[in-house]
This record gives sequence, C-alpha cells and structure tokens, in this order.
Amino acid sequence: MHLTEEELNEYLDNEIQDRQRVELHVSACDECAARLSKLQGLFSEIESLPELALTRNLAVPVTRDLNQRVPLTHSLGLVVTLQATLALLAIILAAPFVIEFVSPYLTNLTTSSFTDVLIQIQSQWMDWLGMLSNFRLPPSPQIPAIDLSSLVITLTLVAVSVLWLVGNGLLLRNQIK
Amino acid sequence: MSAPTDRDLILRTRRGDAKSDAFGELVTRYQASVFNVCYRILHERAEAEDLAQESFMRAYERLHTFDLEREFGPWIRRVAANLCLNYLESRKVTAQFDEERDVDKGQRPEAVTEVRERSEQIRWALASLPPQYRVVVELRHYQEMSYDEIAAELNIPLSDVKSHLFRARKILSEKIHAPD
Repeated sequence: MHLTEEELNEYLDNEIQDRQRVELHVSACDECAARLSKLQGLFSEIESLPELALTRNLAVPVTRDLNQRVPLTHSLGLVVTLQATLALLAIILAAPFVIEFVSPYLTNLTTSSFTDVLIQIQSQWMDWLGMLSNFRLPPSPQIPAIDLSSLVITLTLVAVSVLWLVGNGLLLRNQIK
Repeated sequence: MSAPTDRDLILRTRRGDAKSDAFGELVTRYQASVFNVCYRILHERAEAEDLAQESFMRAYERLHTFDLEREFGPWIRRVAANLCLNYLESRKVTAQFDEERDVDKGQRPEAVTEVRERSEQIRWALASLPPQYRVVVELRHYQEMSYDEIAAELNIPLSDVKSHLFRARKILSEKIHAPD
C-alpha cells in the first residue's frame, strides 16, 4: 500500500509523527519515492521566487500619516471622556422622568416584579431629588429683566451641544485621515 | 554608535518618544519583505504597495499588543498576510476574474525572458489560487509557520489548513508543470 498525499505533504512539512515509517517505505517503493521527489521539487520552486524591490519608500507616507495623527491623541481622549461623562450625567438626570413617564404603562402589567423594583428606585430617586431641591445656596444678586434660570439652562444646552459637535467633528476628522 | 534594535524602536514608539521617527525606521527595515508578502498574495504591484503601507499603519495601532519577546519581522509579515486575505475576500466578486486580469496585462510567462519566465509562471499560478489557499501557502512556505500556527493565525480548523495547503499544492503543480 502506497503513502497518501497527506502523508507525503506532512512529511515534507515536518508535521508527521512517524517519519521513520515514511522513510522506510520510500526507500523500498519507487513510485512513492518519485512522488515525494516531485513534491519536493514543487516546494523548491515555490520557495525559489526572488524578492522584488519596492518602487517607493513606504516610510515616507507612513511617517507623514503618523505625524498627522499624533497631536489628536490626547485631545481626543479628553473629548471622549468628557462626552461619556456628560452622557452618563444626562442619563442619571433623565432616568426618574423617564420612569415616571413609563410607569403607568408598566403598572398595567400582571408580572410586575421588575416594575416594582423600578418604581421603588424611582421613588427613592425622587426623594433624593426632593432633598436636593430643599438645599439652598445663599441668595445671589438678581439681574433685573433677565430670567436667570432660563439663561443658565440655555447656555448649558448650547455649551453641551457645541462640545458634542466639536468632539464628534474631531472623531470624524481622525477617521477620515 | 550601533544601530538601535527592533525592540528599542518599538519601545520608543510606544513611549511616544520621537514616535514616528522610530516607527519610520522599523518601516524602512521591513518594508521590502512586507511588500513581497503582499505581492505574492495579490500579484499586483500597486495594490501590494498600498496594502504593505496599510499593514504598517495597522501594526502601529496594535503595537501595544506586540510581545517584545518575539521578533517584529514575522509579526508584521503575518499582519500583512491577514490584511491581504481580508482585502481579497472583500472583493470576492471580482476575484474570480484575477486570472483573466493577469492575462490581459500581458504578464503570462511567454512574454518574459527565460530566467524570469519560471518566476512569473509560479507567481501567476499562485495568483490563480483562491484567497485562503494563497495565504496558507504564504504562511507555510515563506513564513515557515507550522500547521498549528497557521490555524491559530487565520482562526480556522487544523483540518482546513491541511486541506487548503494540499489542494493549493496540487493546483500549483498542475499549473507550473503543465505543458506550454
């Protein structure tokens, strides 16, 4: 019985356990010896390919691209962290209102164990917010004819939006590069 | 003063100390071998140069995962082989026309001198293989990786490595030894 193609391939790839068995067979079988020799010739031909030379130096474009990326690294890290913090803050602040909005629908459900937990969290959160709302800073001088609270809210919204847009702009700019 | 080792250059790049210069030196050292990996797989010079460049960019992004106890050369060449495979698979629809494309470009062995003829014939035969086969041949014959290493690198079963490799060799043998 002759050696299989798999055995011959694995022998030449040094991946066969019993090398001696193959060598013993090849020494006694002209047909398998010829097949092995032909395969070995193919290996030599494949591996004889000469290396080709590059037509351009890749270090130049790679270095240029890296130089363009470097200054963004630190600022991007800060922007991403800031955005993540703001998003988390927004979620925390919005959570009780969302729960309040959703809870009438949730209480209609018969299996309400998860709903109960949510409502409990909501009531505790509302209590905590109630405590916070009782906290008063020393009175600040009022600017006549200006609703300070709406101005603060507007400015905050504008600042967050601008920061968000700038952050995403930087991220996109980095992606395009 | 002796030239910095690859390890020194990688550490300098990671530290951000003269970042691009240190990495640029690594590119200079390995660009030829990386390009040849890409060219053997793609058989198209412009694409091979672009993919070689992209390989270095990928390597830079993943440099923090590189094990300093190992050699940089084989690592970057494996990155290149994987990138070429992904590239070929992403344009699978057109890959089946590769053979015809090569014929159209006049790169058939008959057109070149006798010394180059054999090399071109082998390259042409390699380029006619399915993408997975090309990469397995590259990793086994040119990067001298074991079956297990290839399976791990390409994330495919060991049986697939063997079947791809053996079938690839059968096809290559038929194409290279076919009568003109």
